[in-house]
Formats: sequence, C-alpha cells, structure tokens
Amino acid sequence: MNVLEIAGLTKRFGTKTVIDHMDLSIPPHSVFGFIGQNGAGKTTTMKMITGLLKPDGGTIRVCGEKVTFGSNKTSRWIGYLPDVPEFYGYMTAAQYLALCGEITGMERENLREASGRLLELVGLADSRGCIRHFSRGMKQRLGIAQALLNGPRLLICDEPTSALDPVGRKEILDILASVKDQTTVLFSTHVLSDVERICDHAALLSGGRIAVQGTLEELKTRRNKESNRSARAEHSLRRPYEKIVAKETLQIEFQTEKDLQQFRVRYPSGEAVDRTTIRLPGDAYEDMSSILSDLAQNHVPVRKLELLEPTLEDLFLEVTAQ
Amino acid sequence: MKQWNVMLRKELSEQIKTHRAFLVLILFCLVGVISPALTKLMPWMFEFMAEDLAGSGISVGDIHVDALTAWTQYFKNMQLALIAFLILYSQTLTGEFQRGTLIILLAKGLRRWTVLLSKLAAALLFWTAGCAAGFLINYAYTAYFWDNRAAEHLFFSAFCFYLLGAWLISLIFPASVFFQSVTAALIGVCAGFLASYLLGLLPAVREYVPSFLMDTPPLLTGAASSSEYLPCAAVTLGLILLNTAVSLAGFRKAAV
Amino acid sequence: MKLEDLLVFLIPLAVLEIALLAYTLRHIFTHDHYKRGSRLMWCLIVIAGMEFIGPLLYFVLGKEDDR
Repeated sequence: MNVLEIAGLTKRFGTKTVIDHMDLSIPPHSVFGFIGQNGAGKTTTMKMITGLLKPDGGTIRVCGEKVTFGSNKTSRWIGYLPDVPEFYGYMTAAQYLALCGEITGMERENLREASGRLLELVGLADSRGCIRHFSRGMKQRLGIAQALLNGPRLLICDEPTSALDPVGRKEILDILASVKDQTTVLFSTHVLSDVERICDHAALLSGGRIAVQGTLEELKTRRNKESNRSARAEHSLRRPYEKIVAKETLQIEFQTEKDLQQFRVRYPSGEAVDRTTIRLPGDAYEDMSSILSDLAQNHVPVRKLELLEPTLEDLFLEVTAQ
Repeated sequence: MKQWNVMLRKELSEQIKTHRAFLVLILFCLVGVISPALTKLMPWMFEFMAEDLAGSGISVGDIHVDALTAWTQYFKNMQLALIAFLILYSQTLTGEFQRGTLIILLAKGLRRWTVLLSKLAAALLFWTAGCAAGFLINYAYTAYFWDNRAAEHLFFSAFCFYLLGAWLISLIFPASVFFQSVTAALIGVCAGFLASYLLGLLPAVREYVPSFLMDTPPLLTGAASSSEYLPCAAVTLGLILLNTAVSLAGFRKAAV
Repeated sequence: MKLEDLLVFLIPLAVLEIALLAYTLRHIFTHDHYKRGSRLMWCLIVIAGMEFIGPLLYFVLGKEDDR
C-alpha cells in the first residue's frame, strides 16, 4: 500500500488555480523528491496533506486514511517540517520536544527516550540554550527532530535545504537519507542536486499538475527518449544559454588548447565548452571507438574522457519551459 | 483533555518567561499604592494651589478626603491599567499567527479550541490576579487611613469593573481570529467599547450595555443598589460567551 | 501630611521600584542583543530612570523579540 495517495487534488486561491487535479502516489520507504519552481504550489500541496489547508477538490489518503481539514485523525502518521519552522524562542530544544510529545500524547518514558535519541541524531544533544539563540540550520535540524518525534510513517519536509549554507545543507540531507529505513520521506525543493543526492523517486510539479513522476532512473531515461525525438526539431535558438546535454554525451578534456583545435578540424561538430574541453553531440556509443582510435593514431594525450549522463536539470528546464 | 492541560501550562509558563506576568503584577500593585497616595496628597495639593487661587479671588475651602475618594480614585486608575493590560495581551494570538509558531503544533494534531481557550484562560487568570492584587493593596491602605465603611458595595463595584475588563479581553479573540493582526485586535477592542458606549447614550438600553459597568461612583456612594447592575452583568457575561463561541467557530476554519 | 504617612507609601513604592530594577537589570545582563542601544546605555537608562520610566523604556524599546 502506498503511504500517500493523492487523486484529483485541486486548490484555488481566488480565481487562480494553484493545484489543478493533481495525482501523486508515494511508495513506502522511498525518499521522494518533490520538485517545482518557487510558487509552483509545493507548500500548498504539503499544507493540504497535513490538513492545515482545505482543498477545493480531490482526495488525499495517508496510509489508507482520508485526510480531512481540521481533523487530527491522520496527523499521527505524519511528521511535518514547514519551510521556515518557527518555535517558541524562550524554550530549549528539549523543552520544545517535550511540548510536542505531550500534545501527541506520548508516554513520558517513551518521550524522554525519543527526545534524547533524536536530539542526538540531529546533533543538538549538547545545546542547552534557548531556541532564540539558534541559527537557521539549528532550527531546521530541530524541525526535523520534532517531525520524527512520534515515529511518523510519512515525513514531509518543505524546502528543508533552502536558505542554508553548504555545510548546513549537507547535514540536513544526510539526516534525511539516514531516516529512510524508518519512514518515507517526501521533501520539496527547487535545488535539483539535492534530489540527485538522496532521492530514489521524484515528481515534477508544473502548472498545478505532476508533469513527470517516477524513479530517478526512469526520469533520466525518459528524458533520453524524449530528447531523441525532439532534439533536432527544437533548436537551441529557444534556449541559447544552454549547453544542452541531449543524452549521454562524450566529453574530452585535452592537455593543451592546440590539441583541441587540431581535433576540431577532424571533428567539426564538437562544441567547445572551454579552452581545453570539447563535447561531441551524436551517439556517444557509436562514436566512441572511432574517436579513441583517432586519438591513438595522432598520439594526442588527453586529460579526461567521460560519458556525461543527462541531468535532472535538463528535464526540469524542458518541462517548465513548455 | 490532556492537550488542554499541556497548552494551559504552556501559556502560563509563557507569561512568566516573556516577562508579561511580572509586568502585570507590578502594574496592578502600582495602581493599588498610587491611588490612595494621590488621595492622601489631594488636600495638600489644594492647599498649595489655594494660595495662588486666593490671589485671583477664588477661595478654596477645606478639602475632605475619605475612603470613598480613595476608591473613586482607584477605579479611575484601574481604567488606565486595563488599557495597558489590553495592549500587553493584544498580541497573544496574533503573535502566533504572524510568526507561524502554531503550524507545527497544529500539524501534530493539536485541537484548535485548546489553543484559543488556553490563551483566554491565561489572560483572564492574570486579569483576575491583577485585579485582586490592586484591590487588596488599596483596601489595606484605605482601611489604615480612613474607614472603608464610607464606601458602599466595594466588592460588587470591583466585580463590575472586573467583568467589564473580562469582556474587553474576550473581544481580543474574535478580532484576532478574523483579521490576524495586532492592530486589528486592538481596533476591534476599541470598536467594541465604542459601540457599547454609544449605545449607552440611548436611555432605553443604557442599563444593559457592558460600559454601564464602569459607572461605579453611584454604587460606591450608595445612590444605586447592586440589583440595578445585575441585568447588565448578565448581558456582559453573555457577550463574553458569545465572543468566545464566535472566535472558536472562526478559528476552526482559519488558515494558519 | 505627616512623615510617617508618607513612608507608608514610599516604602512599598521603593520595594516595587527596586524589584522592577533588579528584574530589568537581570534581563539586560542575560541578553546580549537588544533591539537598539548597548548594554551600558540600557543600564544607565534603567538606573537613572528607575522610577518606572527606565525599565518601561527598556521593555518597550530595548528588549529583543522572543524569537
């Protein structure tokens, strides 16, 4: 059974339809990346899943139970980290977790054990001070601790890595990846490298609907097929700024600029990325052997030769441009 | 029921940790001390001014002060304390909206009514404690200097004023829920009072609006009996319950 | 007014003032950041205006928000 099932979900603010008949399902024990631009409706969707916002249509089921606005029936399954978690500044981290645990009706023993374990997990076990003095990253980590407190089946994190420095970002991602065995993680982001780092599933939200959804591998191969179909038709005129990687491409880094220029004479289709690097469009597998023998014949030393995989960024740009 | 206990405890400890409890207590103690002090100083101040006034042809006789004067002064000062109290507590709910501190707790399945009622209870509790502190201090002073028997219906007058305050405090909540801003909460309280005051100008309903409860001097002098104030007290109590019910209903549907 | 009558008011007022002063100073010394001004400035204001004005100014204008 899927942890989360969304069918026909619709939400309007005034005349603007933010979420338009969205369908989404999340299998258990996955780390699910929810990708979308700022303002695409990620936070709105998450607030509806947690029952904080009333949908205008459609159903949401968490662990098979229907979510209804204003009811707390499904909240025991869910742990929620808002985009900017706000706490009571005068409390300590442990006091805040105690408040949360008491609200969900945890046993005292159980609560103390879980609180200690989670503060350890998020690296706040030694913090004695009030939350008022916490940095952004510490607040975000406390947010994860409170979301995991009642052992949820579904952990929902809204942009957990935005507004963090690279160290803070890595810490959060490591924590999310480490809880995969205990729970299912749904997290939203507009940073694709985060998704590629820890997710196994992803969905792309665009125009109020899920544009693409699947495992990370599926998404990448899908991108391959699509671009094969359309690579020639849509010229780079539409997106001149992109060095678009249509599919797996061969990239060669030479030792010197001269080598590159001589190579370009033989392979004029190559696009120079910088002074010593070149990319070769076309079918990388077919070209590989001829290029390798060419390099060997001309005694050209290369620094690096690699197959570039298509990235989610390309997919993202393609879908959102439509 | 457990959530209610947890939230009430949270609210009470918040009053202490955000220094509101201490400020409220100081405020009301101050009123309790200052009111009899001002009364006691009154004859002296008039004497002081009398010399000036005598020069301009006005003669001032001996000013007589007693417990009645002190209590009138006390209720006047309590109006200022009530305003300060309302300002202090106007952001009790809107502060949580603005900072978004409720989102996590509500997502955890916290029942919304516990949030609202615990805040109302905490505010009323401190209002009660403040009124009691001010009253007791003023009572002790007037008993020491004069004779408290000079003022009638002391406890009932204090109760009337207490009820008026409770009504204004309960007005904070519907205004907060529907407009979600501190300014709106304060404007709501002012508008409520103004409406009551203006209605009070009509003789037909004068004795049934909450602001009538502020009219304590006739009670103190014994010109009015306590039974004349009972319908008004009942109406005010009803309005408090109505305010609470309306804000609970609104908060159920409010976006957080 | 007799001196003894005056003392009856002055002593409780002094107690309230000193309690408020101590409370405010404790708050100033346990916080490193203020909405505006520095620690020294607020200490001076609170002590100089200890007749309720200084502490009031501090809590309204100087105390940082509880975030």
